[in-house]
Amino acid sequence: MFGGGVAADMNRYIEFADRLSAWFGKAFAWAIMVMTIGVGYEVIVRRLLGAPTSWAFDVSYIMYGTLFMMGGAYTLSRNGHVRGDFIYRLWKPRTQAMVEFVLYFIFFFPGVIALMVIGWRYAARSWGYGEVSVNSPAGIPIYQLKSVIAAAGILLFIQGIAQVMRCIKCMREGYWTFAPDDIEETEVKLMRGETAEVLQEAAAEGIDVTAPDRDGETRR
Amino acid sequence: MTDPQIALFMLGAFIFIIMLGFPIAFTLMAMGVAFGYYAYFDADRMWRTYHRAVENGADTWTLVETWVGGFFNNRIFDLFINQTFSVMANDVLTAIPLFLFMGYIVERANIVSRLFATLSIAARHVPGSMGVAALITCTLFATSTGIVGAVVTLMGLLAFPAMLKARYNIGFASGIICAGGTLGILIPPSIMLIVYAATSGVSIVQLYAGAMFPGFLLSGLYLVYIVVRSLLQPSVAPKPPKEEADIPVGRLLFLLLTSFFPLAILILAVLGAIFFGWATPSEAAAVGAVGGLVLAAAYRALTWQRLRESVYLTVRTTAMVCWLFVGSSTFASVFAYLGGEQVITEFVTGLDISPLEFLLLSQLIIFLLGWPLEWTEIIIIFVPIFLPLLPHFGIDPLFFGILVALNLQTAFLSPPMAMSAYYLKGIAPPFVQLVEIFRGSIPFLLLVLVAMVLVYVFPPIVYYLPNLLYAR
Repeated sequence: MFGGGVAADMNRYIEFADRLSAWFGKAFAWAIMVMTIGVGYEVIVRRLLGAPTSWAFDVSYIMYGTLFMMGGAYTLSRNGHVRGDFIYRLWKPRTQAMVEFVLYFIFFFPGVIALMVIGWRYAARSWGYGEVSVNSPAGIPIYQLKSVIAAAGILLFIQGIAQVMRCIKCMREGYWTFAPDDIEETEVKLMRGETAEVLQEAAAEGIDVTAPDRDGETRR
Repeated sequence: MTDPQIALFMLGAFIFIIMLGFPIAFTLMAMGVAFGYYAYFDADRMWRTYHRAVENGADTWTLVETWVGGFFNNRIFDLFINQTFSVMANDVLTAIPLFLFMGYIVERANIVSRLFATLSIAARHVPGSMGVAALITCTLFATSTGIVGAVVTLMGLLAFPAMLKARYNIGFASGIICAGGTLGILIPPSIMLIVYAATSGVSIVQLYAGAMFPGFLLSGLYLVYIVVRSLLQPSVAPKPPKEEADIPVGRLLFLLLTSFFPLAILILAVLGAIFFGWATPSEAAAVGAVGGLVLAAAYRALTWQRLRESVYLTVRTTAMVCWLFVGSSTFASVFAYLGGEQVITEFVTGLDISPLEFLLLSQLIIFLLGWPLEWTEIIIIFVPIFLPLLPHFGIDPLFFGILVALNLQTAFLSPPMAMSAYYLKGIAPPFVQLVEIFRGSIPFLLLVLVAMVLVYVFPPIVYYLPNLLYAR
């Protein structure tokens, strides 16, 4: 169907998209620290010193909005968006890939393109008059938050192409290739048979815990 | 087809599409935009500039440009972007990443094994002591992290083998872990209630206050069941051998002071700040996250790797929940604009059913939806269909929300899609059969039902705290 060159190009593109999405997703993930510290600071100065800040509220939703929008493509590349997969999971990977391949064109790209194009127009208007938040007299600028819509759309578009390529790969090879990541939910790690540091350290603290009884022979 | 018929077709098509397994957030987005394009299609308005250009005899290039541009003049696009922005600037949803972050940090704070070990000793004279300790650990740990999968798998590796070693009945032990771990989505500060508050417009503070007693009622029912069953049928929960059970009171107190109380105080501080109006839920969540960091540092568990993990998992889970909101906000407004909401309201009010029958019917539908779907989709997409009907039947959305939250406990426990059971099966020794886990969960499922009936018959269980705190 394809020459080796095309397959290699696809692999390169998928890797590029995964890394791009992960880079942006992880970079903006740190907004949670800004949020935690900023809002925590507000609570302290307001309750203890009676001097509320004029910026903490705006900072909190700007950070939250940026965080989840910019994380959309990262989540997509790690297959983290919810699916109603009670039928899907019964299919063979090849069937899954075929159905998904078609659905990406009907149910992914139209919405994402609208995000990109119209989001761009919306942001341009906001930049045009240097829009600021109406929540406080501090005049916190929010045009950058409006640009996030278009930026998230662009990232999703790039990642979406990689996902379509994944479908093509899966249709040819018969199995899915997932993005490698060092970050996984605890239950995913544990169910894969990895050990939990969280559990091991109890013994070191001198507390008598019945160690998890995991036979070496029955588990890899 | 009339507009309302289109709306119903839209809903039907959506349900069909999600069964194909495509990510739901994007399906909602694309369907909202596509059906919205139809709903807001207005040829006069969209090609006004083009017609003006024709009248003015503009050059061919301008004509082509304005004609093509006309296709993008549909008002759905403005609606779509405005709805997206309103999700981004939603001050209720800001609490989600903060509570998730707190949860991921606490999950990694080396606390769960200590907690279970201490509680096992503290509860050693109670019948079914290990089961009781496991349930209390699950309840407290699940309340503070809110992440069902993590609680079930961690407790499945910690308490479950211990119970099996003590020759507990496999089904009984698995039921305790699964049901206990699932409590995290009910007892405040739970993410599920924030999501319900954002979709229903009910105050999150009042929802939290309303969910307190029902949450502890359910946990209490579980506890009573464990003790009573262990008393009546000692073979399911044999007493541990005597010799390891002796420990001085001072040592026990010290253990409790270093494991149970710090976590309990963190939770009570967060909830207290919310209930007494010292801080908004988002602010309390931020303080809770700081508290979680301090706790992790105190347990010498705050490593760079764990912080990174918590931060990156927070962004992934937040994106998962909030992109659903982005999709559903546009979808829902288009659905309502086409008159879909009204058709459903008219249909249901035309059925001539009593409020109780409506309540039973709606809870049954939500229960059934819980088989194939997860709580996120159910609350963000399907519960809003019932919300406009509540005033007609005189049902308080707060009360309805608590019932839904109780009901969705079953979604994790009942086959075919019992996530809690799958998590446990995933880490349990191979001789533990899925069927045994399911069988062990049945008594707990029935207790959820009992709790729902109790809440319905005695509404003060829900209303006592909100009334006391906010004089509703």
